[in-house]
Amino acid sequence: MRFRLSHRVVLGSTALAGLCFGTVAATAKSPDAVATRRSTLPPALARPVTFEKEVLPLLKQRCFACHSGSQRQGGLRLDRREALLQGGDSGAALVPGKSAESLLVQYVAGLEPGKIMPPAGKRLTPAEIGLLRAWIDQGAAWQGGQGSGVGGRASDQVEQTHWAFVAPTLPAVPKVRARAWVKNPIDAFVLASLEKEGIRPSPYASRPTLIRRLSMDLTGLPPTPREVEAFVTDRSPDAYEKVVDRLLASPHFGERWGRHWLDLARYADSDGYEKDLARPYAYLYRDWVIQAFNRDMPFDQFTVEQLAGDLLPNATLDQKIATGFHRNTLKNREGGVDQEEDRVKNTVDRVSTTGTAWLGLTVACAECHTHKYDPITQREFYGIYAFFNSVDEVDVPAPTPAELEAYRKAREKFDREHAGLQANLKTFEQDELPARLAAWEQRVAAEKPKLPASIGEVLNLPSDKRSAAQKQELAQHFRSVDPEYGKLAKAVEDHLKKAPARPARIAMTLAERPEPRPTHIHLRGDFLRKGAAVEPHTLAVLPALSTASAPTANARTSGATPAPVRPTRLDLARWIASPENPLTARVAVNRTWQYLFGRGLVATPNDFGTRGDRPSHPELLDYLAVAFATGAGGQGTGAGGRGSGARGRGSEAGGGVTTAPIVSPNPMDEWVNGVPGEQDGYGLADRGGAREKGAGGSLNLRTAAASDSRGSGYALRNTNYGGTSPLAPRPSPLPQGLSWSTKKLIKLIVMSATYQQSSRSRPDLEERDPKNILLARQSRFRVEAEVVRDLYLAASGLLNPEIGGPSIRPPLPADIAALGYANSVKWAESKGAERYKRGMYIFYQRTVPYPMLSTFDAPDSNTACTRRERSNTPLQALTLLNDPVFMEAAQALGKRVLKEGPDDAAGRVDYAFRLCLGRAPSNSEAARLLALHADMLQSFRKAPAAAKKFAGAGASAEGAAEQAAWTAVARIILNLDEFVTRE
Amino acid sequence: MQPDLNEARRRFLANAANGVGMLALASLFQQEGLLASPAQAAALPPAQATDPLTPRAPHFAPKAERCIFIYLEGAPSQIDLFDPKPKLRELHGQKLPESFTKEVRFAFIQKESATILGSPREFKRYGKCGMELADLMPHLGSCADDIALIRSMHTDQFNHHPGQLLMNTGFATLGRPAAGAWLTYGLGSASQNLPGYVVLSAGRGTSGGASNWSSGFLPTSYQGVLFRNQGDPVLNLSNPDGLSVDLQRKSLDTLRELNQERLGRIGDPEIATRIAAYELAFRMQAAAPELMDLSQEPKHILEMYGVGRDEKGFSGPRGGGAGTFNQFSTNCLLARRLVERGVRFVNLFHASWDHHSNLDTELAFCTQMSDQPVAALIKDLKQRGLLDTTLVVWASEFGRTPLGENRRGSKPNTGRDHHPFAFSLWMAGGGIKGGQVIGETDEIGWNVTKDPVHIHDLHATILHLFGMDHTRLTYRFQGRDFRLTDVAGKVVKQLIS
Repeated sequence: MRFRLSHRVVLGSTALAGLCFGTVAATAKSPDAVATRRSTLPPALARPVTFEKEVLPLLKQRCFACHSGSQRQGGLRLDRREALLQGGDSGAALVPGKSAESLLVQYVAGLEPGKIMPPAGKRLTPAEIGLLRAWIDQGAAWQGGQGSGVGGRASDQVEQTHWAFVAPTLPAVPKVRARAWVKNPIDAFVLASLEKEGIRPSPYASRPTLIRRLSMDLTGLPPTPREVEAFVTDRSPDAYEKVVDRLLASPHFGERWGRHWLDLARYADSDGYEKDLARPYAYLYRDWVIQAFNRDMPFDQFTVEQLAGDLLPNATLDQKIATGFHRNTLKNREGGVDQEEDRVKNTVDRVSTTGTAWLGLTVACAECHTHKYDPITQREFYGIYAFFNSVDEVDVPAPTPAELEAYRKAREKFDREHAGLQANLKTFEQDELPARLAAWEQRVAAEKPKLPASIGEVLNLPSDKRSAAQKQELAQHFRSVDPEYGKLAKAVEDHLKKAPARPARIAMTLAERPEPRPTHIHLRGDFLRKGAAVEPHTLAVLPALSTASAPTANARTSGATPAPVRPTRLDLARWIASPENPLTARVAVNRTWQYLFGRGLVATPNDFGTRGDRPSHPELLDYLAVAFATGAGGQGTGAGGRGSGARGRGSEAGGGVTTAPIVSPNPMDEWVNGVPGEQDGYGLADRGGAREKGAGGSLNLRTAAASDSRGSGYALRNTNYGGTSPLAPRPSPLPQGLSWSTKKLIKLIVMSATYQQSSRSRPDLEERDPKNILLARQSRFRVEAEVVRDLYLAASGLLNPEIGGPSIRPPLPADIAALGYANSVKWAESKGAERYKRGMYIFYQRTVPYPMLSTFDAPDSNTACTRRERSNTPLQALTLLNDPVFMEAAQALGKRVLKEGPDDAAGRVDYAFRLCLGRAPSNSEAARLLALHADMLQSFRKAPAAAKKFAGAGASAEGAAEQAAWTAVARIILNLDEFVTRE
Repeated sequence: MQPDLNEARRRFLANAANGVGMLALASLFQQEGLLASPAQAAALPPAQATDPLTPRAPHFAPKAERCIFIYLEGAPSQIDLFDPKPKLRELHGQKLPESFTKEVRFAFIQKESATILGSPREFKRYGKCGMELADLMPHLGSCADDIALIRSMHTDQFNHHPGQLLMNTGFATLGRPAAGAWLTYGLGSASQNLPGYVVLSAGRGTSGGASNWSSGFLPTSYQGVLFRNQGDPVLNLSNPDGLSVDLQRKSLDTLRELNQERLGRIGDPEIATRIAAYELAFRMQAAAPELMDLSQEPKHILEMYGVGRDEKGFSGPRGGGAGTFNQFSTNCLLARRLVERGVRFVNLFHASWDHHSNLDTELAFCTQMSDQPVAALIKDLKQRGLLDTTLVVWASEFGRTPLGENRRGSKPNTGRDHHPFAFSLWMAGGGIKGGQVIGETDEIGWNVTKDPVHIHDLHATILHLFGMDHTRLTYRFQGRDFRLTDVAGKVVKQLIS
């Protein structure tokens, strides 16, 4: 990454202070010098040596502290023979039979200045060096057979028992006391840890809060007042589940969850760096992501298509578009850029992004050196790098069917016309040209105009004496001078210019080169300093990679037998998307949890390594991970199809309870009664229940059968979200296998009692659990940048709900766009309905991000973002108060309230509140807003010109003050903390 | 050192639901003159603790309290400004021996035919210290005893955007926080009504755009806030058309009351933070225009900075175009006004120093633009007693080659290519020992021969001046503790008074 070579040149040349032209700084290593120094090596012992009794103790004593197990300074471990042969960042540590050429010997003898091993403490004695030399010269035998470690592999134990590297197994669902609270196994895990701490969960949130939470979490849009009303008054036991199913089936689901994924994909609409050229068709990948979520593409298939869709048999255009995931890398088109350096940078990014997004590992740390904390060697980094090192960036035509059809039609028409014109010419040549030529010859003979010499010569010959070539030359000449011929020929030529243009839409994809590029370790991460050659392989700490045709070939452990088949990127993708991979499902499940609770079960979603946070609920995480990856997903059958599998219908017949009925006759009281119920057990009636207890005894607020504490009583309704063909049921080891279905996973989580808790702060937890790790309540947080915009547009009625398509450019002051390099950023404002599309469609110009997005912590799209910041700043306040887009929403909401709401001010305030917050205002809230309205109305009546401006376009002279006053009220509701907060 | 901002706020207002948070909030308003009950607030910790920009103590006693970082994008030619090389005139037109260029990559130069380009500039000695500077910068010369000139800078990058990122953020990759973001993250800001990190740009944009003042992985509270040259000084600062200040205040009062009511019910301290953010926004609506209003500045100050100058006599196509002189002068004056108001870090940007050709005329344009106002800034800070605690840095991403540029398709040997191995920059004030030159380069200015200073060293030194140990100012991101100085950086002690 660094320009280290030149850096060295700088310092190396400082010796040139006297400007001694012609003197080259002596290079550190010339072959002669090394040979000379080798002769100073202590001689090898002249007797047979034993590895176990002599060599191993020496290595253990002097080397293992830094070079064994997870300690791999310089990428080298010395506790395994194959590791020695393979060597570290500098290359093989020894060459059996050739001790003088072995780096191990050269380093311990100090042949390389500055590279003396061990770096500190006593040097090895000549006798010890002689021992090592003898051992190597005698073949470097390793007792216990090749490939085995020494010392019982004790050193491996740390890395291999780190929780995240051990495959999850299905944990038993814990027994809990307050069984009534448990709606599904998730709750049992959560409650078990709460009970251990003696903490009660929070009561359920009110129905208005729940539907707003669900709508924001699943679609990123607020519920309409009618949706709230329907839910609040729905007395059926599955009222909540119906809402969940409706939202999961909404096409906006794909937008919401697709945007989460785009954070990881570092999606943007421009190249980045100085030129920062637009990528007008980058959105094709974005559309693919949205559709994949909407169709509930199984996560394993989703993975394979993005990492290696191009390598699937008969890859479709969609599968190629999916590989656009790794085309979101930056591109530096600055004039002086070293293209290879840029390519290497992107390849490195592909490795680290893959590591972050799927494995939750900070693989990038091993680019320049072996990972300091996790078992990832630099060699392994380049092992994964090798998979991506052989891709080409290929833009493939991707016309829409309509474009293709239009092109085909236009082309046919063009071809037909062109053929006609060509036929005219041909007919003329055959039928008329000879006669015209003859006439011309006669005319020439008479008039003797100036002609090219060669033509004159031909004409001087009688026609029967002319050779074929001469005849042709003459005809050729005549065609160039005959005006009639010229006219027809020009018609053909002109017509060519009218050829219809091919559809411009292209998809940015990856494609495999026919011949792989060789991969080397980049010493210290410098691509110009090539270390040992590396074949594609994966991390030794994870399960072995299998290749399509040679299931056991794993280059990493191929010390004895070289891998016969080079594993491909498709193999890598399948290795990642395998249920055996201990990380993939956990990482995916954890992120899903994070999006639904504001915090992952592992709080470091990007780092499941030894330095990351440990899971707060390890068994729950494993439960979800196993469930997620159980059941055939999208690559089970190998046919690239959806496979088949049980989809969690195991216990439907057993009468398992899906949801508890939530009854909340007056949900507006949610914030009135602030205290959890104290009755039976934890008595976690929701707000309405607590209130009604006295009146009607305990309502049916609990799961009837609930969980039987083993989870077997739980089932999801078997909803077919994908709209694809029904799947043949197949026995699955887990009744609740989710078959990599993201929608089912989300449903499982949102159906839990844990999810449905109130998010209200609890005084009893402020000290004990300020981060809400134990999940005794839901979290409350400001929504993401794009969703802030969506809420404004939706509440005001401006939203254009159209899904997918090219990116849009909302209004942006010219000087902001001009911040790009030399006005290279062309910000052509979107017109009409385009302007009101959702926030995720805003054109992301990397060097000049749309200010509102940055202000609300949208990721910068340069690296994978696994968790967004949630800042709370004055610039956000200014944006929401004054930005033209948001002001326009306030005006629209003001108008909407006047038009759709009741006639009285109180009724209008109530309506505006419901549009924005999904609830009615409290008495004092309503009173304050009514007072503001009265105040504003009075002021604006006195200032009609100001009122007209403030109310915006379309305000009538007489209605302006009223409209302005409602705009002012709307503006304040839209700026409430609650409005941009998901509770 | 502050891994979770929300968490800090939460812990501070941990008892919000019990009412203590409400009191803290009350004290916040009291402090802002919105409520008046000192007795109520007396027993409480300072309410600004909810504000991520609250001033924080450094690691040790600082010398500098604020920084004005003047960034001249494009790589000004050190050979024609700061580092006299008479030898180049002697060798003008000759080829450089292969030993110099063998392993070097250039952006545009064709190695085989490139020849040495002597500088036409005359160098003069300035100040008591006798610092040699080119004749293009007489005003700066008059400040020679206040500045420390480093002639031994070197960098790893030789393309603009990566080079800019390295100079501004310490990494050549996008997505890292700028030095100004690090400083405000570490120290907060003394400004009550303005952002802690302000950016002013003159002329055309830089190739790095906003990434040069990004907060990277730090919370956006630490991002540089661009003050604009036209329209609102801060985006969306003005009230919507038709809304008076009075009505804005009334609206915000209602908003505050409603949010407070919610806070009382829900108890989420994040609501208190949002209330505070809206109040700061309101104050900024008054403070920013006041800042930009130069009508109260005396005439001699305006003239000193060259406010109102135009580009008469310069018709070159580059340099940022018409109005740049005035804009840059104004920005220098605004920088002083910003630090006077407690802003921690001010970034001045001007692009157009990338002189691959027509170096003589274009460098003259750029120095004519910048020399007077920059020197005025130093003098003005000094006469107000602010220079001692205000660090001024003048820098770019790298330097330019002793070789003339000979790329195909451009006028040969009228400019210089990118040169990362040796370049110059200067610093003044804020604990810098003025009147000295640090480092040397060889006779043709190719390599550093004495006291090399890497960009990481520069950053380490800047943080040191602010009382921060660069190895301890860290932020955990992607599983690793990041620093402004990556894994390198040595404080250049010689620079410090």
